[in-house]
Amino acid sequence: MGFEFSVITDSIPALLEGAKLTWIITLLGIVGGMIFGILAGLGRLAGSEYLGEAPHNTLSKTVSTIIRYLSGGYVETIRGTPIIVQAMFIYFAFPMLVKSLTDIERFRIEALTAAVITIIINAGAYIAEIVRGSVMSVNKGLLEAGLSLGISRFQLIAHIIGPIAFRRMIPPLGNQFIISLKDTSLFIVIGVGELTRQGQEIMASNFRALEIWLTVAIMYLIMTSALAVSLRTLERKMKIF
Amino acid sequence: MPPIIEMRDVCKSFGQTQVLHNINFSIDEGEVVVIIGPSGSGKSTLIRCINCLEMISSGTLIVDNIRIPEHRRKIRDIRLEVGMVFQQFNLFPHLTALGNVAFGPQKSRGMDKSKANEIASDLLAKVGLADFHNKLPGQLSGGQQQRVAIARALAVNPKVMLFDEPTSALDPEMIGEVLDVMKSIAQQSGMTMAVVTHEMGFASQVGDRLIFMDEGRIVEEGKPGEVMKNPKSTRLTEFLGHVKHH
Repeated sequence: MGFEFSVITDSIPALLEGAKLTWIITLLGIVGGMIFGILAGLGRLAGSEYLGEAPHNTLSKTVSTIIRYLSGGYVETIRGTPIIVQAMFIYFAFPMLVKSLTDIERFRIEALTAAVITIIINAGAYIAEIVRGSVMSVNKGLLEAGLSLGISRFQLIAHIIGPIAFRRMIPPLGNQFIISLKDTSLFIVIGVGELTRQGQEIMASNFRALEIWLTVAIMYLIMTSALAVSLRTLERKMKIF
Repeated sequence: MPPIIEMRDVCKSFGQTQVLHNINFSIDEGEVVVIIGPSGSGKSTLIRCINCLEMISSGTLIVDNIRIPEHRRKIRDIRLEVGMVFQQFNLFPHLTALGNVAFGPQKSRGMDKSKANEIASDLLAKVGLADFHNKLPGQLSGGQQQRVAIARALAVNPKVMLFDEPTSALDPEMIGEVLDVMKSIAQQSGMTMAVVTHEMGFASQVGDRLIFMDEGRIVEEGKPGEVMKNPKSTRLTEFLGHVKHH
């Protein structure tokens, strides 16, 4: 049984279907993960001087503390558990939980939905730390310069901290996006027909491990390269200081 | 006319360290006050308290009839009336010179972009940088950056300008251009100014009043020429000796 090129050409349509699904999960996952990550990352800095001025009155101090604990709890929980357990929890355990707590008889989460939610929540926790680190790296003098012009905290975050921190987030975000893309291969366990699953199925029917896994690997490499190149382009476009 | 800035029994502590001890002083409209003193004497903290970048620990601060701590919610109103120039320039690195200067009018005064740019363009011309609209801070020399920073603070149209060692981070040959801009603001626009500096020439030429601080207290104050010529305390005599020899 030598290397058969035709095995690859035959398998390509099915693998492309899988790659398409991998791509969809990844893109939805990182877009949602960015939203979660920015909220949780800023949340962990609530009430700190990194976002302008520390609050003075008791109410905003209390609110900031609650936000900080919620964001911190989310980040630590997700970072502290394997993604595959998170996927199992969302796909199998969460519907059970809903059923036992409510009267809903038939509650199900689609495998694809569960996959997207898992990536959103998982990437969000890591992106939160990227956001937090970048925001903390913004020179305090720039915050003071902004505040001394009489702008609001929201304007300070939107127009000064945000753009400067974002530029510094790009390299670690590139890492996280690529990790998230590769993590989608774990959804083989909840039966999502993404690229790894497609490869596994073809392999199970023709036993051509070499050709199939080589093709699968190259397809992942193409997708991760596309992510890397787009982030490099973005980085260059923003390289103004 | 009441003074535009007044401090009554102001104390400031950072944790256990008390940096300002019962400061009483005021600045009248149009007055240029120069604050000198050895490092760690509390002079920077004093002017940073005026625009509430540092919150006073006790006492009363009155800026243009806004009282701190009573009107704590009006800190932003104080800052609109009080511009600040920093030792390290602190220009926004992602904005052009024009963008830096237009930022205040647009964001804190709510002007539309074209009006803000017009103001910014006029101010850049005023500080001698009419040809530098599209330069980023990283492409400017220290002196040019500081002049953009002065224009940025002026753009919000404040009643008072604070300068926190504006020439201390500059190469010697660039100090003059920044001092010249400050001089013209004081003399042509009659701006009220509080300047922390070691430039004794500027203090005597432009200053209406000189304040010498040491260990968190105002030790001497008066007309710059007189204070410098006849220092009463040994501490100021020593300090002037050090400054003059550099």
